[in-house]
Amino acid sequence: MDYFSQANSAPLYILVGVVLLFVAISCVLFTRKSYLAGLKMGMDRNVLRTTITASALFTVLPSISILLGVIALSGSLGVPSSWLRLSVVGNLSYEAIAAEAASQAMGVSLKDAASLTTGHLVTIVLVMTTGISWGIIATIFFGKSYSRKSTQLLNKSKKKEGKSFADWAMVAMFIGFCGTFIGSYVAEAVVFKHFLPLLTALVAGLVMKGCEYLVNEKQLAWMENFSLSLSMLIAMTAAVLLAL
Amino acid sequence: MNKSFDYEQYDNSIHRLGRITNTIGILSLLTLPLVFSVVLGTSLSWSGFAKGLLRVSITYLPICIVEFLIYVPILGSGGSYLSFITGNIINMKLPCAYNAREIAKTQAGTPEDSIITTLAVGVSSLVTMLVIFIGVLLLIPLTPVLNNPTLRPAFDNLLPALFGALGAQYFFKSWKISAVPLILMIGLSIAIPALIAQTTVMMILIGGIAIAITYFFHKKGALQ
Repeated sequence: MDYFSQANSAPLYILVGVVLLFVAISCVLFTRKSYLAGLKMGMDRNVLRTTITASALFTVLPSISILLGVIALSGSLGVPSSWLRLSVVGNLSYEAIAAEAASQAMGVSLKDAASLTTGHLVTIVLVMTTGISWGIIATIFFGKSYSRKSTQLLNKSKKKEGKSFADWAMVAMFIGFCGTFIGSYVAEAVVFKHFLPLLTALVAGLVMKGCEYLVNEKQLAWMENFSLSLSMLIAMTAAVLLAL
Repeated sequence: MNKSFDYEQYDNSIHRLGRITNTIGILSLLTLPLVFSVVLGTSLSWSGFAKGLLRVSITYLPICIVEFLIYVPILGSGGSYLSFITGNIINMKLPCAYNAREIAKTQAGTPEDSIITTLAVGVSSLVTMLVIFIGVLLLIPLTPVLNNPTLRPAFDNLLPALFGALGAQYFFKSWKISAVPLILMIGLSIAIPALIAQTTVMMILIGGIAIAITYFFHKKGALQ
């Protein structure tokens, strides 16, 4: 049997399916537990349901992008291994970098799939998994103590200073993330004359502000749940049109 | 919050569940390539593994530690366990949790916020797994559609679309906090173009600077 027949063989699909089923069950357990706790706590059922709807809607587009990563990676690692790696731990950019680093360490390259063997495949998958496992290991050993400590610090800052520094710190952290990415798109436009990422970001930003206007000024409160997904959808459509 | 509700008991049970599921999860994931090698009748290259892991860990071990330190306070206990086992944190779980927090109007560090972020990350993880599962089932008919060169720019620009929308939301919350990190990132990336592709590392630096600026303005009472 050739490399791809083995890398795409039924037993591998089944093994990956079993592990992913376990992870999916874990997600269901956490979701159910938090939903029931929210109700017991006295939270509004509609708020909890809106959270579920908005989160599901928001996730669809990025998930399709991850699916594209599965397709891209399956060209060298086969479908089951790519399906596994992009469904759990890590992200597309990490997986691509780790897979290439592992293959180069064995003197082969993902770009030359004909040179790969099943021995390379299992080694690459183990490197990809191990290399990104430190965060999970940290949550197992330090998650409880660190989570409690950080929550205490957040709440202490609220009591001590009247107004919440914790809330501002969360906003600041996200401003930092957004600033990093938007800043890189501006630089990309200036240095490499690649304007599409910046234009896409600008369209998304404008649509988002438009949605905020409709929510706040025109009292279209229902739109708040869809504004992020809608902004992304319109901006991604604009990217297609601008690239024509 | 309903006073009869014991949040500490709930939080303990979340940590117990998280430790159990993440332990089983990571052991399964690490064991799977070994099972693959038995099924395929092949053997691992341990020297290749050691060299490959060294190359990957030089960059990703510090990143994983910093991510743990940054993400846990933001995602809360349940959201953290789920996010670390399901991955795609910066491009999906974190924005999803923030979006949910904005909609539910909860405050970081509160029990309500912990519930909302866990719910958001849990649902997001399930939807991703479902979309990928359906995609894998329909891989043959879907591949030419998704790989169509006309549609390609849409998926290549997913992150600009995401951060453009979020940026519009967050930059306007406070220009005092936003201006310096944004200008700094632009300036550094133009001066050293290699940084344009290093967003994972840069967001730690830029995020840290944003927090330091926030602390300064907050101490002065200049944030409304």
